[in-house]
Amino acid sequence: MILEVKNLKKVYGDKTVVNIENIQIEQGETVGLVGNNGAGKTTFFRMLLDLIRPNSGEILSKNENVMQGDNWKSYTASFLDEGFLIDYLTPEEYFTFIGSLNNLSIADVSSYLTQYGEFFNNEILNSGKYIRDFSKGNQVKVGIAAALMQKPEILILDEPFANLDPTTQIRLKNLLKAQAGSMTTFISSHDLNHVTDVCNRIILVEKGQVIKDFKTDENTLKELENYFSA
Amino acid sequence: MLSTFLSHQKKSFWRSRNRGGSIAAQVVLGFFMLYFLLVAGFLGFGMTVLLPKVFPQQDVMTSFNGLILYYFAFDFLMRLQLQELPTLSIIPYLHLKIPKHKIVDFLNVKALFSAFNLWPFLLFLPFCFITIAKVHGIVVVLAYILSIFSLMLLNNYLILFIKRKSISNFLFTIGGLILVSGFAALEYFKIISITAVSDVVFRTVTKQPALALIFPALTFLVYRINASFLRKNLYVEELSAKQEKKVSTDYPFFNRFGRVGELAALELKLIIRHKRPRNTVLMGMIILVYGFLFYKPQVLQTNSFGMMLFAAVFMTGMSIINYGQFMFAWQSAHFDGLLSKKIDFKDFIKAKFLLFTIASTLLTIAASFYCFIDAKLLLLHLVAYLYNIGFTTVMVLFLATYNYKRIDVSRSASFNWQGMGATQWISIFPFILLPILIYWAFNLFHLPYVGLAAVGIFGLVMLLMRGFWVNFIVKRFEQQRYKIAEGFRE
Repeated sequence: MILEVKNLKKVYGDKTVVNIENIQIEQGETVGLVGNNGAGKTTFFRMLLDLIRPNSGEILSKNENVMQGDNWKSYTASFLDEGFLIDYLTPEEYFTFIGSLNNLSIADVSSYLTQYGEFFNNEILNSGKYIRDFSKGNQVKVGIAAALMQKPEILILDEPFANLDPTTQIRLKNLLKAQAGSMTTFISSHDLNHVTDVCNRIILVEKGQVIKDFKTDENTLKELENYFSA
Repeated sequence: MLSTFLSHQKKSFWRSRNRGGSIAAQVVLGFFMLYFLLVAGFLGFGMTVLLPKVFPQQDVMTSFNGLILYYFAFDFLMRLQLQELPTLSIIPYLHLKIPKHKIVDFLNVKALFSAFNLWPFLLFLPFCFITIAKVHGIVVVLAYILSIFSLMLLNNYLILFIKRKSISNFLFTIGGLILVSGFAALEYFKIISITAVSDVVFRTVTKQPALALIFPALTFLVYRINASFLRKNLYVEELSAKQEKKVSTDYPFFNRFGRVGELAALELKLIIRHKRPRNTVLMGMIILVYGFLFYKPQVLQTNSFGMMLFAAVFMTGMSIINYGQFMFAWQSAHFDGLLSKKIDFKDFIKAKFLLFTIASTLLTIAASFYCFIDAKLLLLHLVAYLYNIGFTTVMVLFLATYNYKRIDVSRSASFNWQGMGATQWISIFPFILLPILIYWAFNLFHLPYVGLAAVGIFGLVMLLMRGFWVNFIVKRFEQQRYKIAEGFRE
């Protein structure tokens, strides 16, 4: 078990945004978090990353509380939104910076990036732009590539498909599938097709609570569609 | 329309996150203003009596005339630092059915509500009515009032124009800085005298009251320039920005500091690549001119370092304070990212100290040109430097852990003026007062150099304790980070 959530609760005013009794995630699982707006997905991810203090409960990453130590940062990579990018840097500078935090040399970083030529569609590297000058889709690509570059054991992505063009969506799915088994991935998405395609486990949340938690099979998509159209 | 804008502004003030802080600042500011208004009124009414006493060897009219332009030159410098640009976050209004000139009008009318536009009335009008009316008659009095009133508005709009222009134009700032320091130096070395020029100008007005009409004409011109500049620039910056190729850069200097240096280099890029922080730092350089105001020969001779220490602390530390008062918020756009990455908070805080130390060192070196006036000033600057890197840095970073207000650095600088005026200065007062208090304690016993040494030693001790302070601030930062991050997300 690589991640465990225990009695996690977050309250804003008199509204409980997240209230999760228990989730256990095994190494190598690809977990999809599905729910409507306001289900508490992003808040939950922020608590996973120790960006929001929960009112009660705890999150254990390899049996260590994320609030108490920094060890989890060395094997966890994430991209929730553009706030995770340093937007006044060029993509190269950003990759170099992230690389240096993980003790990768400039040469390591550029050799890593060569395999992403296709993913970047030649629009990102050597473009002579700061990250803030890119379209949202391209910013997401930078964020995801930077997260994967860290060779994380845990990867957390919030709505990774949302701003991507169709080609890139498919490429991202292939990337994620290729890592399945070795990397533990936690993604949220509104696109039921994509999550059921990529993930082998779906957690359905509503109003901060886990409604369903199950392994995917050929009927999953239908089930989810039925649930959300009801 | 104007009233709608006003009501929106009122709401944005009362509903803002940092409301408590801004109200407190406004109250303090109000007291200061009241005090200065009282002083101005007292001086204004007393001028008839005071002028002959202060300048016994010259005619009262000459003294009064000489004062006018001198006052407005001083007024100009004060406004440059303190007058706040009227703000209205324009973007939500631009696409609505509101004529652009209405928005411009609002900004211009609002700019009139400044204490600077009250002082001249209290200061100069009593004398006009009491003395000038008796000697020269009502027409001349009207000419004086018209001139003074116009000069006041001239300064008002000129400052606004300069501030706006300098925010969008780096060379303009540098040019202005050189010009102002040039004039200050000329006046300081008695090559030209504002007093004499002022006397000549107003003597002419006394003889030919109609000439006073030149002033309103000038004012109107500046007003028009200002208004048209505003109108042309009512665009979101990106639309007009030139597309130039951006290159990746690396600062080898910082590599020797390891991880800390990397973080410092990251922040340096932030400063260089955004107008707002860049200008905040530049404002700190403009202050280097202040020495000309404070370093007077008679003060230097008697070793009264009190007020000079004030200037020295300002000059060597201003960019620390100017930039530091918004600390962490500069990075608000990617604060979540920084927190979730593998960055040791200790390195993060140390990087800030490193940047501050470098900035203060550079400013101190730049300020050393004052040694041409007197070599003692080098000692004074050294003391101020030690105080700033030892104490000011710690205070600024400590206060930064209480700052939850997001700053959008990437937003166009031209409409993002909050916090470039008096309100922010008030939080700075303690930093400036402390060294002066320490110094004065010794000066009471006529030990000016011991006083200086005490301030210097205080700074040095704080500097030696930096390791302790870093840990202290890291601890605060760890407690506060959720709150800071939450505020920055809004």
